[in-house]
Amino acid sequence: MERLRKYGFVLGFLAVPVTLYVVFVISPYIQAFQLSLTSWNGYQANPAFVGFENFTRLFNDEVFWNALRTHGIVLLVMPLVVLALALVFAFLLNLGGGSRGAGMRGVWGSTFYKVVFFAPQVLAVAIVGVLWKAIYRPDESGVINGAVMKLGGEPIGWMSDPNLALWSLIAVMVWQAVGFYVVLFSAGMSAIPKDYFEAAALDGAGRFTLFFRITLPLLRDTIQVGWVYLGIAAFDCFALVQVLTLDAGGPDGATTVLPVEIFKTAFSYSKVGYASAMGVALFFLTITFAVLTLRVTRREKIEM
Amino acid sequence: MSHPGEITRRQLLRRIGLTAFVAGPGVGLLSACATGGTTAAPSASAPASSAGTDPKNPFGVDAKKGLEVVIFTGGFKDDYAKLVHEAMYTKSFAGVSIKHTGTQNVGTMLRPRFLAGDAPDVVNNSGPEAMDVAALAAEGHVADLGPLWDAPALDDPGKKVRDTVTPAAIEEGKLNGKDMTLNYVVSHRGLWYNSKLFEKEGWTLPQTLDEFKALGDKAKAKGIHLFAYPGQKGPYYMLWNMLYQAAKIGGNQAIIDIDNLVDNAWKSEAFKASVTAWHEIFTKYSDKSYLGLDHTQTQIKHLQDKFLFYPTGSWLEGEMAKDKPDTFEYALAPFPTVTANDTMPYGAIQVGTGEVFFATAKGKNPQGALEYLRIMLSKEGAKGFVEQTKSLTIVNGSAEGVDLPPGLASANKVQTAAGQSLITSARFEGWYKELFDYAWAQQNILMGGRMTVDEFLDKVQKKADDIKADSSIAKQTRNA
Amino acid sequence: MRNKPKPSALSGLSHVALAVWALLIILPLLWTFLAAFKDNTEIFGDALQFPGAARWDNWARAWEKAHVGQYMINTVIVVFFSTLGTMLFGSMAAYVLARYKFVGSKLIYLLFVSGMAFPVFLAITPLFFVVKQVGLLNSYLGLIIVYIAYSLPFTVFFLAAFFRTLPEAVAEAAKIDGASHTRTFFQVMLPMAKPGLISITIFNVLGQWNQYLLPLALVPADRSKWVITQGIADISTIAGYEADWPALFAAMNLAIIPVLIVYIIFQRQIQSGLGAGALK
Repeated sequence: MERLRKYGFVLGFLAVPVTLYVVFVISPYIQAFQLSLTSWNGYQANPAFVGFENFTRLFNDEVFWNALRTHGIVLLVMPLVVLALALVFAFLLNLGGGSRGAGMRGVWGSTFYKVVFFAPQVLAVAIVGVLWKAIYRPDESGVINGAVMKLGGEPIGWMSDPNLALWSLIAVMVWQAVGFYVVLFSAGMSAIPKDYFEAAALDGAGRFTLFFRITLPLLRDTIQVGWVYLGIAAFDCFALVQVLTLDAGGPDGATTVLPVEIFKTAFSYSKVGYASAMGVALFFLTITFAVLTLRVTRREKIEM
Repeated sequence: MSHPGEITRRQLLRRIGLTAFVAGPGVGLLSACATGGTTAAPSASAPASSAGTDPKNPFGVDAKKGLEVVIFTGGFKDDYAKLVHEAMYTKSFAGVSIKHTGTQNVGTMLRPRFLAGDAPDVVNNSGPEAMDVAALAAEGHVADLGPLWDAPALDDPGKKVRDTVTPAAIEEGKLNGKDMTLNYVVSHRGLWYNSKLFEKEGWTLPQTLDEFKALGDKAKAKGIHLFAYPGQKGPYYMLWNMLYQAAKIGGNQAIIDIDNLVDNAWKSEAFKASVTAWHEIFTKYSDKSYLGLDHTQTQIKHLQDKFLFYPTGSWLEGEMAKDKPDTFEYALAPFPTVTANDTMPYGAIQVGTGEVFFATAKGKNPQGALEYLRIMLSKEGAKGFVEQTKSLTIVNGSAEGVDLPPGLASANKVQTAAGQSLITSARFEGWYKELFDYAWAQQNILMGGRMTVDEFLDKVQKKADDIKADSSIAKQTRNA
Repeated sequence: MRNKPKPSALSGLSHVALAVWALLIILPLLWTFLAAFKDNTEIFGDALQFPGAARWDNWARAWEKAHVGQYMINTVIVVFFSTLGTMLFGSMAAYVLARYKFVGSKLIYLLFVSGMAFPVFLAITPLFFVVKQVGLLNSYLGLIIVYIAYSLPFTVFFLAAFFRTLPEAVAEAAKIDGASHTRTFFQVMLPMAKPGLISITIFNVLGQWNQYLLPLALVPADRSKWVITQGIADISTIAGYEADWPALFAAMNLAIIPVLIVYIIFQRQIQSGLGAGALK
């Protein structure tokens, strides 16, 4: 009887979400997977089946590997910079105010800083893209170059120099993401019992020791979760690349990512079948990343 | 997709043409670039089911059937459709209902509807999301326009519609030899400059490459660049420029061969000479920072006399009207002569058509769709368009009685002087967009100084070869 | 043995670092605000100059062209209901998947989670057909349901992890008290999960507020039902065609300012919610 009740409950709770999900997400995705085995151009009533041809072609596609390279770099650099900056800022905000007397305090104005730092997070990515495009303009009308030229420097091709464009792109992602993790880590730090710090301070630990010996280890879990979120974000970044970079992924493909190439291939070049194959590849890459990270970091609370 | 511009976002749409001005007297000029006999045999699938003879209703439109029109809302917006063409249609068939949609996302919106068998009747297929008309036609979605061109004109039943428009439009609306699209507006492309500045400085238009560069030196002394193109959003202005220059050097065949994917067409003498010349002009007389600017930013710098020549089409004047200072007046210059024996004389100019409409074959009202296009091509319909958009249509004389703005007047003059020396449009832009995008991307690398001219030609040729070898890409050809 | 680090020097440095980052965020936003008063020539002229006049007509054009007011209201309606639905169905599914063992639970969970890894736009055409088939094209309801479905993967992923951390004892106690599974969920577990719920709600509101592709494909025809991102994209395209950049910047401000105001009003809740959710 209890068993029956339990299954009834499970079924009742899962019915609506699973139905919605299967109908509106899984079924279109399955169709997209099927399309990756065809040469569909987006208009044919009957797509022609081509087997795994799209995938073998993918293997020799310069553009595909180039996009993977970008993902690789973003994946390595962006989370690292975001997490490092966020940790430092959070530390300064919460514990940078000195330890006069018994307690550790945040710096003056920490609420203000937190509010400001988080603000980019509430802006739509498209807006962030348009905004930074103006900041990065290559002549005196760009906010940065305007200042550089006022100081007598040569204007810098932030987005037009292929050696620089990807870093400029990553900088924007960092700009937008840091505040979120500052807030996250701040909460984490304020949850660390104050007496930990006091005890350590009594033992003569300096601020850096406090940071590396106490704060960091206690925030380990939070940092790992942050890493996964940021990693998944690194596989997407479609909108930002589309809006911000020169001709979506340029110059010379220096900033291109898979979603942007998929979009172009499917809708500009009418090769939906091939684009779907790229999508399938992206799917497995993201899944692999997530599983690997979570397995490696062995976070028990979030498991795949 | 028959005309060159389909591809790209804004441009396409904006092609504001000149022909309407030129139209009355100038028809002959335009016809030079169209093949003489454009008589497509009226196909059996013509929707003119019943009474094909009534000049009032040649397609046999059922007056009770509604009509659905989807208009790309770019630089022309969609008032011309609502206030002019649709109003005329409802006047012809009193009580008929028209469903109108304006959108910038033609592809996202319509691709699924075509698949679902729920297509609208008339589509202005332009803008960044324009659909692949060849692919749609292969599925039988696009109506043959043969019957439209052969139908009696709305205002003059004694004339066929085809005799009321510039023949270039009919030619550029063909796909695999069939009349598929109505390319409604006309534009002239060449090198735009500030005639007031030239007057002030006492400069004359350079006619040869050497004179061009000599002027570059003079300008440099005044801190002005000779030439610029936008590295962003409109980098293909430069690709057009080099293609047209190649046609001036080696004749239209240079472009036709590239369109037809002829082996080594990109490595022809003419194209190589053109690229070499423009590479030198850009690297010696311009500035790399333009590679990071988009068309608007570059055009604003043009208005500020930061550089002399800008390669684009006649929509430029309308686009910048708001920002144009009194010290600036647009004028069109032809391409300089590069070699001693250029095929075309100095003065040759490019004329192209754009803003692509088609009628759907499997829609609910294919007869109505053809009639709608016939209305667009009437004097009243075309004139209404000109009034709404300040742009010219392919309909002869559609801008009669309109004052020519200076830039358009200048283009008109250049075209008259050009006579038969008209440079053709590059069609591969619409046929093989992947090749086109690749070519301008490589061109930016070349102009950025990270590649030599030969490397550039090799790379683009290789891409053309790949496209040719790719059986999944449907091929098009042209004869003229 | 040194007893205290030098607070003053370090605290000074901290302030410099924090202030620099704050400026990096404030200045671009301020510049965008000022740009909304410039004309084209100023926007593409010297970046560090103030607008020559307070050109409010830029704002008027933006308001009119981007239909900001109407689209904001539409967005609020859609996002309100879709977030509500996402939270309800997402937490139900996550709870069951996290705390009940049954055949296929792992599979269903994986199915949900894998949804995070596929680019949405590839599924757009098939999705269009699905929505058309159920007759929900061009409707708020269709949009709301699709938003919910596409928000489920992350919501389930996040909340399942959260529910797993809640102590077993409380649920056991409720059971002994004779509470049904459903009651236990709504009256015991859900309140305990509040920090996690708040945190994921914020995620969903932000994510759905920014959705562009789904509304584009699913409410294409009816402009009166457009959401704000469509309006911004629309005016940004128009800006390209008509070279009306001032209106674009004004429209961007019209979209940014209300969101910032709402954010500042709720910043305390947002921060504590996020923090609490992440810590569990």
